[in-house]
Amino acid sequence: MPINRERLRRLRINLLIFLSVLGPGIITANVDNDAGGIYTYSVAGAQYGYLLLWTLLPITVALVVVQEMVARMGVVTGKGLADLIREEYGFRTTFLLMILLLVANFSNTVAEFAGLAQGMSVFGISRHISVPLGAIFVWLLVVKGNYRVVEKVFLSACFFYVAYLLSGFLAHPDWKRALVGTVKPTFNLDPGMIYMIIGLVGTTIAPWMQFYLQSAMVEKGIKLKHYKYARLDVITGCFLTDLVAFFIIVACGATIFESGHRQIRDAGDAALALGPLAGRAASALFAFGLVNASLFSASILPLSTAYSVCEGLGLESGINKRVHEAPTFYSLYTGLIILGALTVLILTETRQIPLILLSQVANGILLPVVLIFMLRLSNREDLMGEHRNTRAFNWIAWATSLVMIALTLLMVLSLFLPNTLPR
Amino acid sequence: MIYFSEMENLPTYDGKGRYVGVLTDLLVNPSQDSNRVAYYLVKSPKKKLLCIPRDQMQSISVRAAIASTSRDDIPAYSPDEGLIRVKKDVLDQQIIDVTDRKVVRVTDVDFDIDPGDRHTNLEIISVNIGLAAAVRRLLQGMFAKHTTRMIAGRFPTRTIPWGVVNLIESDPARRVKLRISYDKLAELHPADIADILEELSHDEQKSVIESLDDETAAQALSEIPTRMQVSLLESISTGKAADLVEEMPPDEAADVLQELSPETSAQVLASMESEEAEDVRELLGFKENTAGGLMTNEYIVVGDSATIEGATAALKIFEGVLELIHAIYLIDRDCVLVGAVPLARILLADKETSLKDLSQDPLISVPFHADERTVVATFQKYNLVSLPVVDDDGRLLGVITADDVLDVVVNHH
Repeated sequence: MPINRERLRRLRINLLIFLSVLGPGIITANVDNDAGGIYTYSVAGAQYGYLLLWTLLPITVALVVVQEMVARMGVVTGKGLADLIREEYGFRTTFLLMILLLVANFSNTVAEFAGLAQGMSVFGISRHISVPLGAIFVWLLVVKGNYRVVEKVFLSACFFYVAYLLSGFLAHPDWKRALVGTVKPTFNLDPGMIYMIIGLVGTTIAPWMQFYLQSAMVEKGIKLKHYKYARLDVITGCFLTDLVAFFIIVACGATIFESGHRQIRDAGDAALALGPLAGRAASALFAFGLVNASLFSASILPLSTAYSVCEGLGLESGINKRVHEAPTFYSLYTGLIILGALTVLILTETRQIPLILLSQVANGILLPVVLIFMLRLSNREDLMGEHRNTRAFNWIAWATSLVMIALTLLMVLSLFLPNTLPR
Repeated sequence: MIYFSEMENLPTYDGKGRYVGVLTDLLVNPSQDSNRVAYYLVKSPKKKLLCIPRDQMQSISVRAAIASTSRDDIPAYSPDEGLIRVKKDVLDQQIIDVTDRKVVRVTDVDFDIDPGDRHTNLEIISVNIGLAAAVRRLLQGMFAKHTTRMIAGRFPTRTIPWGVVNLIESDPARRVKLRISYDKLAELHPADIADILEELSHDEQKSVIESLDDETAAQALSEIPTRMQVSLLESISTGKAADLVEEMPPDEAADVLQELSPETSAQVLASMESEEAEDVRELLGFKENTAGGLMTNEYIVVGDSATIEGATAALKIFEGVLELIHAIYLIDRDCVLVGAVPLARILLADKETSLKDLSQDPLISVPFHADERTVVATFQKYNLVSLPVVDDDGRLLGVITADDVLDVVVNHH
C-alpha cells in the first residue's frame, strides 16, 4: 500500500515539525494557570460548585483569539510586541506601558511566591525555607541555563499540571452535573457571581501573556511556512489551560462546595480543605500542582517583564547575553525575583492587599490599551501584508476585546466603589 | 544644536506672521544631500499635511519655525518613497551603529541649525540613544523647553554620528530609492556582521544578506546559528542561496544543507558550480556529530615523495581559505595518510628537503566514525590545531580544524 506509506511519512514529518515549533503557546497558556489563577478557579468551584463551568468555553475562545493574533504578529514581523508598539506609538507611550507592566508583573511575582509558600506549607515546609530556595532555583535556571534547556524545563513543568486532573478524579465529582454545568450557562444578577465571572476572565487573559508569547515566537525563530503548526501549539495551549481550570473547579466543586464550608482564604487553603473530603492524595496533588505552577510562573513572569521592558526601551536583552552586556535586563530580572520573594517573607497577607489592588489596577489599564494596539497593529498592511486580520476575524476579535475591556474596567471600578458590586 | 523632540509639534508661521500649523516631520533627500533637511512637513489645523521646501524656511528655533512664503503658497505634501522621514523612518527605529558594531534603537535625533542669509538649513549631526534623550522624550511638552533641557542635561548622553548610522529598510525597492547601502557594514569582520544579523528581524536579515557581496555574506552567514541560516537560505532565491553556499567553507555548507528541507537542499546543490557541489556532496555522506561530520575537505595534500618545493607549489594553487591551513598532508599511492608537516617547518627548511623527513612523528589521526567527544579529547590531549580524518584503511578523507572543535565545545556547555 504505497499511498498509505506516503501518508504515514507525511504525518510523521508533520508531527516532527509540530514538535519542533511546540513550546511558546503551550508554555504561555500554562503559566496563565499560576497561583492567582488556581486561587480564582478554586474559589469559583468552592462557592458556586459546577455552576460557573460554562464560562470556560467563551473564555477559551477569547484566549485563542487574542493569543493567535500576537503569535501571528511575532512570526510575520519577527519583532516583539514591545518593539512594535515602540516603533508605531513612540517612546513615551511605550515607557508608560512598560512601567504599568512592571508594576502589574511585580505584584504577580509576589503572588507566585505566596502561592509557593502556601503550597509547600501543605507539606509542612515553612515559607522561610521554601521561598528563598524557590527564588534561588528560578534565578539560577534562567541565568545559568540556555534557551533550549529552559524551554525543556518549562515544558516538563507543563506536564505536571496533570496533578490537577488526577486530583479532580480523586474528588469523585458528579460528572453528569459537571458536564451540564459546562454547557448550560447559568447567570443571575447576583453581584457575587458577576464579580466571580469578571475574576475568571481577568485571571485567564492577562497583558503580560501577549508580550511574552510574541517574544517567545520571535526568539524561537518560527518560520512563516510553519506558522500553522505554531498556531496549533497556541490553540492546544489554550485548551489545555482551560482543561486544567475545569478540573480545579470540579475538584473544589465536588468537595468544598458540597461540604457547605465554602470560604477559602488562598489556594493552599483549598488544598488543605480537599484533605478530609477527598483524601490526602487529592490534597497533596493539589498542593503539588500549586507549587509547580508557582515556581514555573515565578521564573517566567520576571523574565518576560525584563524582556519586554528592555525591548521597548531599546536596551540590550536576552539570556544569551552576559551580565555586563545587558545590565538592565539582568537587574530587572534579579530585582523582581528578590523583591518578590522578600515581600512574601516580610509582609503579612493583609499587608499584601494594597499591592494586589495595585496590580489589578495596572492590569486593568494595561489590558485595554494592549488589546487595542494589538488589533490596530495586526490590521496594518505594511506590517502584516497578506497575514493581517480577516474581516470575520476582526469582528470576533473586536467583540472579544470590547467585552474584555468592559469586564476589566468593571473590576477596577468595583475595587474602588465596592458598593457597585458587593462581594 | 536642536533636538527632534524639541521640534516636534513646533508652531509654524508664514512670512506674514500667520499661523500655518505644527511641524510634524523632517524629510531628507538622500539623492541630493544625506545630512540636510530638504522639506519640512507641517500639519495644518485642518489636519492637512503641507510641505515647506528648505529654501523657504526662514528661521527655526525651539520656539517657532517661520517660513518665508505666504501660507497660501505652501504646497500639499505628496508622499515620496525616495525621502527619509526622520520621525517615521529613524526615530524609535532600529539602526546599525557601524563603529560600535551594534544594533540600537534611536531615541532622538540631533540637528545643527545653520542660519543663512536668505534661509535656514538644518543638518542632521547624530542620532541619540542615551538616557538624556529618553528623559527628553518623556518630558517633552510637559515643561518649558529650557527646563526640559536642564533636567535632561543631568543625565548621561550617548550619540552616534549620522555618518556611521546605517538605516535598516527591508523593502528592497525603497532601499534603492533611499540609497541605503551596506558598504560600511561590509567592511566589518564577518563575525561582527553576524552578531548584527542576529539582532535583526527576519526580513531585515534578508535585506542585509541580499545587498552584501556573496563572499562577505557567505562568511557572515557561516557565523550565525544554524536555524537562522536555514530560514534565511529558504527565503531567498535558489540561485542566490547556491551562490552563498558555494562561498561557504564546505563543512559549514554541508551542515546547513543537512538542515534545509530535502527539496530546497537538492535545488541548491543542483544550482551550485559542479566542483563546489561535489565537495559538499562528499561531506553530506557523513553523520553529524562524528569526525566525518566535523571535517572539511578543503585541505592541502601532496604525494609522499614531494619536497618543500612541491609543498609551496601546492599552497600557491590552493583556492580555499588559507588562514585555516595549518599543515600539509602526505599520502602514498593508495591515498593512505603517511605524514603531516606543519607550515612553520616548511618555512624553515631548504627547498630540496623531502617532506617525509619533516613529518610529525607519531602521526595522529581519527577514523571518520569517531564521535565528537573523542575528537575534542584528541585535540585537547595532543594540543592540536588541525587533525586529519581517515577511513578504516587509513586513507585520508578530510581535516578537522580547531575552530570547528571550539564550536562543538561551546555548544555543549
